[in-house]
Amino acid sequence: MTMSSPVTAEAPVPTRWPARSPRKPSGGASWWFVLPALLAYAAVVLLPSAGGAVFAFTDWNGLAPELAFIGGANFERAFRDPQVRSALAVTAVFALAITVLQNIIGLALALLLNTSIRSRNWLRTLLFAPVVVTPVIVAYLWKYLLSSNGAVNQVATALGAGEGAVNWLGDPRMAVVSVVIVTVWQTMGVAMVIYLAGLQNIPEELYEAADMDGASSWTKFRLISFPLLAPAVTINVVLSTVNGLKLFDQVFVLTSGGPGYATETLSTLVYKTSFIVGEFGYATAIALAMTVFVAAVSMGLMAWLKGREAHVH
Amino acid sequence: MSYQVPMSRRSAVFAVALSALVAGGASAAAPKHDFSVFTVSSDKAALEAVVAKFVERYPGSKVRVNAADADQYQTTMRVQLTSGTAPDVIFTWPGNGNSLALAQVGPAGYLSDLSSRPWVKRIPDKYRQVTQSQGKTYIVPMTETLIGAVFNRDVIEKAGVAIPKTWTEFLGTCEKLKAAGVTPIALGNATPWVTQLVDYALVPSTVYASQPDFDERMAAGKAKFAGSGWTDAMNKYLDLNRRGCFNKNPLGTSFEESLQMVGTGKAAMVIQVSGIINQVRTFAGHDRFAMFAVPGADDAAKVLIPAAAGSGYAVNAKSKRSAAALAFVDFLAEEETMNLYAKRIGSLPAFPSATALDDPTFAPIRPFVESGKGVPFMDQRWPNAKVQQVHFAVVQELFSGATSVGDALGRMDAAYTAK
Repeated sequence: MTMSSPVTAEAPVPTRWPARSPRKPSGGASWWFVLPALLAYAAVVLLPSAGGAVFAFTDWNGLAPELAFIGGANFERAFRDPQVRSALAVTAVFALAITVLQNIIGLALALLLNTSIRSRNWLRTLLFAPVVVTPVIVAYLWKYLLSSNGAVNQVATALGAGEGAVNWLGDPRMAVVSVVIVTVWQTMGVAMVIYLAGLQNIPEELYEAADMDGASSWTKFRLISFPLLAPAVTINVVLSTVNGLKLFDQVFVLTSGGPGYATETLSTLVYKTSFIVGEFGYATAIALAMTVFVAAVSMGLMAWLKGREAHVH
Repeated sequence: MSYQVPMSRRSAVFAVALSALVAGGASAAAPKHDFSVFTVSSDKAALEAVVAKFVERYPGSKVRVNAADADQYQTTMRVQLTSGTAPDVIFTWPGNGNSLALAQVGPAGYLSDLSSRPWVKRIPDKYRQVTQSQGKTYIVPMTETLIGAVFNRDVIEKAGVAIPKTWTEFLGTCEKLKAAGVTPIALGNATPWVTQLVDYALVPSTVYASQPDFDERMAAGKAKFAGSGWTDAMNKYLDLNRRGCFNKNPLGTSFEESLQMVGTGKAAMVIQVSGIINQVRTFAGHDRFAMFAVPGADDAAKVLIPAAAGSGYAVNAKSKRSAAALAFVDFLAEEETMNLYAKRIGSLPAFPSATALDDPTFAPIRPFVESGKGVPFMDQRWPNAKVQQVHFAVVQELFSGATSVGDALGRMDAAYTAK
């Protein structure tokens, strides 16, 4: 992605444009408005999480009244555990595939619906609708659609593809593809809305000026829309990466991490290790390492994308 | 799975209240009991039926029944036990194998010692070990669950197939059913716990028939899965798949779909636990189903079946209503109650009962039960819940061609010896 010569460098800058640059925090006063929510968040999320993190240094099985502190042994084990490595690789594949597809499709839909087609409001609502449904319910619906004798395969059979033509959830590779399809289908609406908002913030004058210069649609997208969507790209990429790295509901419902370990993500591994196998201390260690990993990736991404935004502007 | 939350307290309480009204004329001297009980979804209807009988005997009692799907139950109950919010009577799996089995929960001190209850001496010897932890009895076992081939009588009769007695005959049955245009065996290996059942059906014959002390030798480190009769069982499992005895895409087929296939006659049988027969009947709308032993050996005398205490109830050690809880557990151990419970979930009662065996559903497998040819479920004797999880995963990998039998069993051995 090179953004070396965006149109803003050449086009006349509209007078209201500078007002849109990111605002600086207005000082201490804004913190008082955040405080109540922050306190509630700390009480129900941060403090219990921090308290729970202690178990990562113990051998607690989740039930026994006694436990022993074993230092960093759980972390050492996690780094050597081939199942953790496998889950990390699967998680990375999911995060990458979901981020790329969600953003490309979301952006494409936003561009399509930013035009003056008559049914655009209907389509916006329709495409955003899956976002408001609980992921578990969406995953269950897709599970039935994608099952061996489900609707998708029935349609394929009717079209002459043979009975049970595609093993959507039973083939290790197709299972990965299916989870990505279901997740992107549900979340592309969020990316679309954020990109749509970004597109509507771009001053019309820039396009008018480009039209006068005889720019093609592709040139306008490449030199106006995409560079000025940089803040929307930052939000979307960071959100979809974090969601991809935390992926649980869709995997758990569709495949339970299978076949074998083909779709086992870090989140499903943590769940199984703690609640099914009963290794609570070890699972907490994996979860803690995962938290640090997700935080590092999202902060790194954020820093890089913010830098890119500044460069574009 | 874990998101099915069929926890309907209201319906249960209503049923109980209704029963109490019906039984309004009973003796006024009977004590009233007020307590809660939490069970798994598959046992909910059976539990509600016996709770209604309990309230008939003790009019005015209030019993709050709660249920959740097995995975959800394990998660929820572990949290409730550790946070001191568990109900008075707790469904607990006998033996070991999952995180809410007796061997996991018992030593942690969350359950009451029931060793002095009058029914303890009636627990069959084969179930003593799986109902005890460190020498004390903690659960009343309710059902004897069998694993075998639940078959659709109409389909089998139409295809002109006799019940097979040996492995070779079983393969012949499979071929005849295929020739008749039906799927011989429905297999829903997309649902993790289903993956283990064919192995469990075969291992009694391939392992325990020649080595009855296999579990003790495993525990002593003198035997391993790899190189044992488990290899034979897994190869037979894969052989059935290669021969086309299962439906297409077993890894993409769920547990529910497999039952539906047998219920509707699309498949002839499903290798499953006896407790699912009622669900198959529901799909079918008739009850022409029965269960036969899966013959895992070519010597009919060496064919054994998996038969284990399937459901159990324990009393919460911290219960504030332990008298009521104990009264209920004693009631569960009565022959009539246990028979009713077992019949409702399509299993046999844990305590031997001649009347229960008369059920025609179990006629083909009855000789195995009566002659003591049952072997406990393998996981009930495993040292941790991890072996079972690895077993689920490796069977799926075997079916997708991602691993070999030797590697699969090697990983189960590693999980067995893991600390």
